[in-house]
Amino acid sequence: MMMSGGIRYYDVRHVTGQTTHIDIDNSVIESAGTSFFSTAVLRVLGPSGWGILTIDNYTSPRGKEFDSLLESAASLARITTEPVNLADAPHGVLPVPAMREDPREVSLEEKTGVLGEIESAARLPGIVNSRATYIERAEQVSFIDSSANEYSFEICRSGFNIMAVASREGMVQMGYERLHSIHGLNIRHQQELGRLAGVRALSLLDAKTAAGGTMDAILDPELAGVFAHEAVGHASEGDLVHEGNSVLSGKIGERIGNSLITIVDDPSLQEFGFDPVDAEGVKVGRTKIIDQGIVGAYLHNRETLASVGNGVPGHARAMPGEAPLVRMSNTFIEEGDSSLDEMLEGIHNGIILYGSRGGQVDPGRGVFQFNAEYGFIIEHGEKKGMVRDVSLSGEILSTLHSIEMCGKERKMSQGYCGKGGQSVPVSDGAPYIMLRNAVVGGSGTE
Amino acid sequence: MPEDIASLIDTIISTGETLAEEVEVFIAGGESVSAELKRTKIGIAAGSYAVGLGIRTIDHGHIGASGTSDPSAWRKCLDAAISSGTLATPQEWGGLPLSSVREQPLLSFDPEVWVKAEIAEAAIYQMLTGAEEYPVNVTSGSADISTGYLSLANSHGVRYSTKKSSFSVSLEAISDQSTGYEFDQSVRMSVDPVNVGKMAAFFAHHGRSGEDIPTGDYSLVLSPMAFAQLLGSVFVPAVNGRSVHAGRSKLANSLGEVVADTSISIFDDPFRNYGPGSTCWDAEGVPTRRIDIVRDGVLTEFLYDLKTGYRYGKSSTGSALRSGYGGSPGIGYHNLVFDGPRSGIRDEPAIYVHDVVGAHTANPMSGDFSVEISNPSWIENGDFGKPVRKAMYAGNVFDLLKNIEGLGHGERVIGSMVLPEVRLSGQRIIGV
Repeated sequence: MMMSGGIRYYDVRHVTGQTTHIDIDNSVIESAGTSFFSTAVLRVLGPSGWGILTIDNYTSPRGKEFDSLLESAASLARITTEPVNLADAPHGVLPVPAMREDPREVSLEEKTGVLGEIESAARLPGIVNSRATYIERAEQVSFIDSSANEYSFEICRSGFNIMAVASREGMVQMGYERLHSIHGLNIRHQQELGRLAGVRALSLLDAKTAAGGTMDAILDPELAGVFAHEAVGHASEGDLVHEGNSVLSGKIGERIGNSLITIVDDPSLQEFGFDPVDAEGVKVGRTKIIDQGIVGAYLHNRETLASVGNGVPGHARAMPGEAPLVRMSNTFIEEGDSSLDEMLEGIHNGIILYGSRGGQVDPGRGVFQFNAEYGFIIEHGEKKGMVRDVSLSGEILSTLHSIEMCGKERKMSQGYCGKGGQSVPVSDGAPYIMLRNAVVGGSGTE
Repeated sequence: MPEDIASLIDTIISTGETLAEEVEVFIAGGESVSAELKRTKIGIAAGSYAVGLGIRTIDHGHIGASGTSDPSAWRKCLDAAISSGTLATPQEWGGLPLSSVREQPLLSFDPEVWVKAEIAEAAIYQMLTGAEEYPVNVTSGSADISTGYLSLANSHGVRYSTKKSSFSVSLEAISDQSTGYEFDQSVRMSVDPVNVGKMAAFFAHHGRSGEDIPTGDYSLVLSPMAFAQLLGSVFVPAVNGRSVHAGRSKLANSLGEVVADTSISIFDDPFRNYGPGSTCWDAEGVPTRRIDIVRDGVLTEFLYDLKTGYRYGKSSTGSALRSGYGGSPGIGYHNLVFDGPRSGIRDEPAIYVHDVVGAHTANPMSGDFSVEISNPSWIENGDFGKPVRKAMYAGNVFDLLKNIEGLGHGERVIGSMVLPEVRLSGQRIIGV
């Protein structure tokens, strides 16, 4: 159906909400407060491509006022030349899981007090700084499109970060823990995580810089999750595949890894990357990106499904006030059947790595990098000295072949993923995994 | 300042003064337009109208803040700021500044920057023309134009306002599995889209058939883009006064000590003509000034805002910055300039580092990093030689500053940093 002005389709995604934060730094409440936002994105599909308007403080106008917004967006679309088409996709909204304790019903004062307990638990002897931050973001999302699809939902994400800094003779090290959730207030009885951050910072003062080189490596579930996200997840995003900027382009059905590797993205999973419906109103579900070592599917929105094929829509996500992009949500490596002891036994000289400071990928070149918080040298199957500041890099098309063992228990960790200037909540996870001949970056020489 | 904004500000301040000793109001808004390439065709044209209001209140050392995208809801925002202040730990506070900045030239604005889709469109096609110089495939690109206004006011009579403009372009290209990225940005219309297209295509084309190199120590030339990423992840947080006094900076006890090669100076220049961060007053209304952070290799000054200054008995250096309208300002730089004697640093062989992958994973406390290099290539006789297929670079930002062998001719603006190419010796490269 063609509407006036050559408009083939439009949708509006309006998000209103509030953000509450608390920052406690060395026992001083630096700030604690709430801010408010209301912003909408109007997308119009013209004869070729998209015209998109972002409107702060959107008032949901009707009639002529709305028509004039449509016309403004359509007028932008006139400079587009890419023939954009939208694939049909199933619509539908999942229920948002009920929260165990709604953070909005707990006073800011009480939350500040509880967060303070975590912060003080990190302040062990030798810790020079401890800082706890709490973030709570409630969003009311409403969506309407020109095909009469309409939905609305509300979701509240909250959580905390605790960082401890230890210092000795000019050496400064940090330890941190974080926990974020869609299931309600999660800061009660978490002093142990504060203490752990302190212990980590102190023990890193005695850790050595790892020697860089090629070696066998075991990744803990958090780091292995980041590995799945960086090494495979981004390259499977349909927009990058469409642009020719992914080494997984044209690889559907090809084996790129050992058959014990299956990697999944699932926005319907009730983890931190949960979305009840995607940002184009499309029903969300599970996508097997890598199925027993074989490239199974790409992650898609309606546009990239139409242009690329071979995959599943429902992966469009957006920050409030931003246009949807193809994004990961909850990304994980499926469980295998090895134990950690078996992995350790299989390593003569290697390294075991824990925690994550994030990572990055160049999907077109097929090279990724990610960083561990700390690790231990492995000699003859035994954990030896602690090492710090260790990165791993690898090549997407060969790295999955090097995974030789997958553990039995998967664990998910929460974080935020950046792409195109937008940051969205995600979770990554995996069991322990063991890689042969990983490229480990460290400035040590021994 | 438009009249309606001026009267809104007066209303908020007069109401706020009945609830707290001091009130600060910040209003920002603007419009933007962008065009996005999908391969060689424009797939998206986007525009935005943004507005935001931030309110800060101070009462007996209790600092509260809130923000909203709906200025008409200012009363709710004011109440949220007041209640936020009641929770914050009271602190030493000597007051918001009086109105003192008389001359307010528009240092970061060019009236010739027009927010028009057709201008973004033209820049896109210029980039594509530039990229035709090499046989590569363009994957994506964008052109963004924006203008905005900022108004800052407080209960001591400060009524400042300014305007900003920005034009930026970027392009990504690929050839086999070699990718190339380049960008340009300016406060003015002076970006060079043709050259951006050409250089992105060059790096994609040049990087094909790279050779592996063995792990070892090498001389490197870091591009301004690569160097800015490493500095931004480690050095910048380490000279933030709050980090320094809170025990989060390795440089905390290094004032007066040599922290970089003695030829190097690092300073914040808020008055740089057409600098992206140029301003005569900071986000709290404190007059800005040049800050010599490192002079001839010696650490001379840290950056402070009012709150951190009052708390630790220091003066604000005019370094308060706001990243959005919500919340309190933080400490940052306006235009961070990295300077020193220039020479032909590409004359001797070295590995050139165009960009790095994963700079944000550097350890901001210790300064240690290990990153993947984008477009690693030998440079020989001042020009690009054989490409390197894959290389990791592991080092420490604080050590690296002391190992600078030279700075190249010319400089680039990267974000709000201004820096040249940098030559380093004895840097650890992990090959394959």
